[in-house]
Amino acid sequence: MLGLNGAAHEETAPDAPQLVISRLACSLAGQRQAVQVVPGTRAHQAYGRERVIEAFRCHYGLNPAYREVLTMGPLKVTGVDTEGEVRIVELPDHRFFLTTLYVPQLSSSAEAPHPLTRAYLEAAVVFRAARQEREGR
Amino acid sequence: MVRQLSIGIVGNWDPKRASHIATNEALGHAADALAVALDISWLPTRALDDAGSASLLQACDALWCAPGSPYESMAGALRAIRFARERNRPFLGT
Repeated sequence: MLGLNGAAHEETAPDAPQLVISRLACSLAGQRQAVQVVPGTRAHQAYGRERVIEAFRCHYGLNPAYREVLTMGPLKVTGVDTEGEVRIVELPDHRFFLTTLYVPQLSSSAEAPHPLTRAYLEAAVVFRAARQEREGR
Repeated sequence: MVRQLSIGIVGNWDPKRASHIATNEALGHAADALAVALDISWLPTRALDDAGSASLLQACDALWCAPGSPYESMAGALRAIRFARERNRPFLGT
């Protein structure tokens, strides 16, 4: 997609030359942290606010050295932590394509379904409706 | 009117992993709120690592990459993500 043919993950290929995903300076596993959501993005539409607290389980994240090249194309950073580190990315031109470094499903409940999960399923309903229309069923 | 959705979760289901259980539960919470039924399939990454997997992915209305690295097959996970990106399927990676 971006010509990073050697893109690798430090967990599975620690000696690779292009470690796009690298070990975090300090692990976030088990922590709850604030995420700043960029206004006007899909994530912001879903949350309806600019600051959320989310649960993290990760030891790895985007290597900051690759942030610029990764976001030169269609992929955009739409959520950051208080230090500005990447926490959410999405494809604005896609019907719904969003990834988080945290685990939103850990803070969902029957009374308060997680806003991202809900927005995701809403997008799936729209996709399914278009598909049914197309396939005549 | 959409009453049912097929959701494909990319990852090897591990009943001992809290984040996997939470994935199914969170989908259930949102589905109840939207009054739709879900048909959830966990798709082991090895089953996705060749071109024959396209029909598995095609059947899904949306794809979700589950927590828990490393995946058994990174190639399989990447194939599913690419499918979602290129075919404009709703996609969540957490």
